[in-house]
Amino acid sequence: MRVKTPQGEIVDLMTINLGPSHPATHGTLRLFAALDGETIAAAVGEMGYLHRGFEKMVEQGTYQQVLPFTDRLNYCSAMMNNIAFCKAVERMFGVELPERAVTLRVILLELSRMIDHLVCNGANLVDLGALTNFWYFFNPRERVYQIWERLCGARLTNTVTRIGGMYRDTYPGFEQDVLAVVKVIEDAVTEVLGLIERNRIFIDRTRDIGTVGAAEAISAGWTGPCLRAAGVDRDLRKDEPYYGYETYEFETVLGTTGDTFDRIMVRMYEIRESAKIVRQAVARLKPGPVNTADARLSLPSRNQVYHDMEALINSFKLIYEGVRPPAGECYDAIEAANGELGFLIVSDGGTNPYRIKVRAPCFTQWSHYPGMLTGSMVADVASSLGSINIIAGELDR
Amino acid sequence: MSAAADTACPAIQAGLTAEAILALLAPLGGAKDPADRWGLTVIVPREQLRAAMQLLRDGETTRFDLCLDVAGIDYLGYPDWRGPRFAVSYPLKSTVFRHRVTIKVQVDEDDASVPSLHDVWSSCDWAERETWDQYGIVFAGHPNLKRLLNHHEFVGHPLRKDYPCQKRQKLSVNDPMVDQLQAKLRALGYEILEQPAVTPGMPLTQKEIAK
Amino acid sequence: MVYKPVPATAAAPEVNLGDAFVTTTVDAVVNWGRRNSLWPFPFGTACCAIEFMGMVSSMFDVSRFGAELVRFSPRQADLLIVAGTVTYKQAPVLRRIYDQMLEPKWVISAGACATSGGFYDCYCTVPGIDEIIPVDIYIAGCPPRPEAFLEAIVQLQKKIDRENRNERAIIGGAA
Ligand code: SF4
Repeated sequence: MRVKTPQGEIVDLMTINLGPSHPATHGTLRLFAALDGETIAAAVGEMGYLHRGFEKMVEQGTYQQVLPFTDRLNYCSAMMNNIAFCKAVERMFGVELPERAVTLRVILLELSRMIDHLVCNGANLVDLGALTNFWYFFNPRERVYQIWERLCGARLTNTVTRIGGMYRDTYPGFEQDVLAVVKVIEDAVTEVLGLIERNRIFIDRTRDIGTVGAAEAISAGWTGPCLRAAGVDRDLRKDEPYYGYETYEFETVLGTTGDTFDRIMVRMYEIRESAKIVRQAVARLKPGPVNTADARLSLPSRNQVYHDMEALINSFKLIYEGVRPPAGECYDAIEAANGELGFLIVSDGGTNPYRIKVRAPCFTQWSHYPGMLTGSMVADVASSLGSINIIAGELDR
Repeated sequence: MSAAADTACPAIQAGLTAEAILALLAPLGGAKDPADRWGLTVIVPREQLRAAMQLLRDGETTRFDLCLDVAGIDYLGYPDWRGPRFAVSYPLKSTVFRHRVTIKVQVDEDDASVPSLHDVWSSCDWAERETWDQYGIVFAGHPNLKRLLNHHEFVGHPLRKDYPCQKRQKLSVNDPMVDQLQAKLRALGYEILEQPAVTPGMPLTQKEIAK
Repeated sequence: MVYKPVPATAAAPEVNLGDAFVTTTVDAVVNWGRRNSLWPFPFGTACCAIEFMGMVSSMFDVSRFGAELVRFSPRQADLLIVAGTVTYKQAPVLRRIYDQMLEPKWVISAGACATSGGFYDCYCTVPGIDEIIPVDIYIAGCPPRPEAFLEAIVQLQKKIDRENRNERAIIGGAA
């Protein structure tokens, strides 16, 4: 394509397509770029290749049936989506969860955050050519999956929470397993940091690449680690604490410039902060119920069902019809691994959700990405794309 | 890299109460939405949307600098609903203050159009495209109102309540996106002298795709 | 010099060569080679692709079955692993990638979504990739465990073993 540049030169631009099935696009993103030599003159992005109709499908079923769908939003940290959705519905009901359920959710949230960061950074480093780190990160992640399996039977798509609590209590030895795996993850992080933090090649390929400053990031609607990498100290766990996060001791990790290096490092150090939270939460874990006693949400015990007519009816109602949140509209969010994960739920008082809108953190990140590439090199496309952590399931829903 | 040591950013401050935000928006015709019983949703008339949003973003006491999302809602068949058919919700948040608000505009089916906010928050650009794609609500003034989630041969708007869930639509050829790229180049100050001879990109006639 | 014919032995002359020969069919040799050096192209779109990564990683280690050389170019691969949901927007891309792969080629459809659309019975999802391309092995599960992926590869190897060159030429339309 022959063009006249703003400087008045006449050049031939080459157009290339990256994706939608390109290893660096992690599946389903498409980037269409015009190149001037090795520099990207302009790029446009496309999405929707994994649009599976989450928002239409959930209107067809009950609130409980939404949970398996939420697993498949951000499938690198499925439990976070479960918890975020349950928290939003529980907020509509106005129920308080028992202490053990809350602490368990904190442990699961933070472990999910850790493995999400592991996958993101591991894959990002592969894009930069550092394959070894991928194995260093994937082995501890498999160990977390083993805990997930013992906890709920599934490795990836867990559906571990229920509206009003958890699917079930933990297995004996859960605490030891968690503490052991946290140690393994921390070791892996230390090892990888040792390999990359002062590595000339790594620094040259990430420093001042894909820089997004604070003002730009805020206008683009970025949240989470990508926003913190630009030096904006915002974390829902600190700003609008839920699940008692204000009582845990941890720090938010901040970057300075908002380049790829900062984004990778923010994630690395956040893994360590999450490890701190997990340790504190495990220490607090006391025996107790993991579901609320609220009859609108929780199934009665088997014993009650067999001996009490009311409980039997309630059990039938909950299973055949499901829960009925009060009519109205509610937006609720948590700090997910990628940023603010929000659910806008519109209820008509019935058993099926009337409308659920997911506020996916990577949507804003991906929408800003093509613009961010203008003027950068083709070789940096993959590294900066990996560092904003786009998960197609959540992006396209 | 240090853990929150060199914080360039001040700590979050308390922010406005719901009443104060409502009082601020009242001259622009803002009214509290009774449906949101958990947070604060303000319904703003469509004509005042841009003014209200600019006020909320730039006001010294409000500083709602994050527009988190643009969410369409279709009230067709909502029990006892008498209002307009569509609504668009904008959950806003401030990185300076600890306050949130959701702004909502309601539009009728035969005039489903809302002023675009792509120049107020750049995050609205694609979010509005998605809402147009899914609900058919036009964002007046949007520079590139194309489908985002569904393919370019799609007809209709799938999240409308009257779109059957299983009505599938096949795609024969992917969007080459040359027009978008050229628009972007023009916006950056380039002048296109020659159209590409072959359409770059992926189009290939897919005979077998429709079985 | 009087010409003396070599006395005819009872068996064929190859016998003199001892164990240096193995007789087999062309099919068996070719299939043996193909079976043990599958080069997969991962068409991973969604959650199942994460489990594909799990299969490649050291815990499950697909290299034990000779299929670890993941290629991201369809022209260098002979095994297409479709892991994840395929939408109508994605369908032409998948079809094109399949067309670009050279014969012989096999397809594994991994997971409920690729096999049948999974629980996304919706306006945008293809109800099974066999609407678009032929599939050799289906894997159940949402997502399938990495062991199931390995099992699929073993099954495919068995299938390749039974393959007949001439048949394949007819079916695949290539020599
Ligand atoms: S089969 Fe299940 S895990 Fe696999 S892509 Fe589909 S939804 Fe995801």
